[in-house]
Amino acid sequence: MTRTPWSARALLALLALLALGPVLALIVQAMAASWRFHALYPADTGFEAFANLLVSHRLRSALLMSLGLALATGATAMVLGFWAGRALSGAAGAVRRVGAMAAFLPVVAPPIALGIGLQVVVLKAGLGGDWQGVLLAHLVPATGYVTLYFLGVLSAYDDGMEEEARTLGANRWQVLRRITVPALRRRLAEALVLGALVSWGQLALTLLVGGGAVRTLPVELLSLLQSGDDRVGAAAAVALTIPPLLALGLLQVGARRAGSHT
Amino acid sequence: MPLGRRWNPGVWAIALVAAPVALGSAYSLAASVGLAGAGAGEFAPGRLLGVLSAAETWRSVGWTVWTAAVATVLASAGAMLIAILLRGVKGARALAVIPLAVPHVAGALAVLLLLGQSGLLSRVAFALGWTSQPADFPPLIYDRPGIGLILAFAWKELPFLALTALAVRDTRSSLLEEVARTLGANRRATWRRVTLPLLWRGMAPSIIAVFAFLLGQYEMAVLLGPSDPLPLPVLTYERSMDSVLPRRGEAHALALIALGLTLLLVIMHEMVRQPEDDA
Repeated sequence: MTRTPWSARALLALLALLALGPVLALIVQAMAASWRFHALYPADTGFEAFANLLVSHRLRSALLMSLGLALATGATAMVLGFWAGRALSGAAGAVRRVGAMAAFLPVVAPPIALGIGLQVVVLKAGLGGDWQGVLLAHLVPATGYVTLYFLGVLSAYDDGMEEEARTLGANRWQVLRRITVPALRRRLAEALVLGALVSWGQLALTLLVGGGAVRTLPVELLSLLQSGDDRVGAAAAVALTIPPLLALGLLQVGARRAGSHT
Repeated sequence: MPLGRRWNPGVWAIALVAAPVALGSAYSLAASVGLAGAGAGEFAPGRLLGVLSAAETWRSVGWTVWTAAVATVLASAGAMLIAILLRGVKGARALAVIPLAVPHVAGALAVLLLLGQSGLLSRVAFALGWTSQPADFPPLIYDRPGIGLILAFAWKELPFLALTALAVRDTRSSLLEEVARTLGANRRATWRRVTLPLLWRGMAPSIIAVFAFLLGQYEMAVLLGPSDPLPLPVLTYERSMDSVLPRRGEAHALALIALGLTLLLVIMHEMVRQPEDDA
């Protein structure tokens, strides 16, 4: 590689500042016991706000609720999205195109606009203010994302092995368990993470469909900010950022090991 | 297997992913013309027409389109710069994806801490002697031009667009750039005639996606946006919680506007997508 020119180095420094600055600001705010105006850095620091996340019953149960919802959303969206992506990738041109648009719609549809309609459907199903209702709502965008993901991935997937196994007498379940899942293991894991992340950061759908009764970490964070508790809020924000950061890191390492850029 | 017509599994898949949006939109349509929801009765389009003719609605829509558009342009420009100057530079990709991991609520708080009138930038301005109190610092949060919100949006969307731009350069433009150089084009001409047009074409679907996504972004808008005009998602949410029940129907009319815009952008997205995007 040639020497990095100064313009590239300057841009890299700016990028580092932009990428890391806001995250550092959250960490410092969470540590700041007192940080009056004028002071460039807090006079007094400690880990109390982070400890509060685990000690406070309210925040701890919000953390668990978020984790549970994210895992359930990720796992369910992985199954639904795999099935839908597979069906669409094998479909004829027009069905495939309409399918891609249909899957893209819940991904970009405004969560508030989507949630206002979904709220009623969930209420009619008797799940209003329940975590099951919120799970259903989170599944709508998550399934869209995962379907699009598999639509892309599966167009490069060779199903010749499945064909052979079937010729040799394997039934559908055996083909799925012995051939498809092992061949796509990494892709399925990525899809699960993708679905889980969609749920993890979700606030608008949770507020509308959960009616304020389902308290996830983003819901608690919003309340903390609206009541002016920036310190504990910042600790909650850091806690919200760590799992996606780890997931992204793991995916990058996994992708590098597999020798691709996905 | 019977020879009769079977529903193509692709059609079922479309039904699965589209049904929730279709159901929700249908309900919103019914509720906004008085056929469903609080005080439902006969067909009464007055509420929908009222919302559609209210100045407040269009100020909110206009403001939301403006902030989303400026943020999309900023993030796209940043992503192109990264793809042009930092492709292959160690650490650039890892740094660029970091904001992707920060959930919107958390990102909004970070922007408050940095850009608020008693935030870090304001403190730096004070330390440099540019301001003598927090109020001297220009309001970048809850401000009418939406500067703080635009910067927050652009920051949050930069990773997705940067990854797209880097992928376009990795897969499509390198070879063509080489060909252009070999044929005698200088750096500038190569850049203007090959790199930029290819980046633009390759990024167009993602740019439309980001714009559509930002139009509906609620978390950052509620924490960083002004109260007049209210960003469309915030206005919609507030209406849906209105203590005056009939006004809640207006939320459905506002949701229809947002969903209509989204549908338009989804169609545009499909139109600019290239066949090789499927591969």
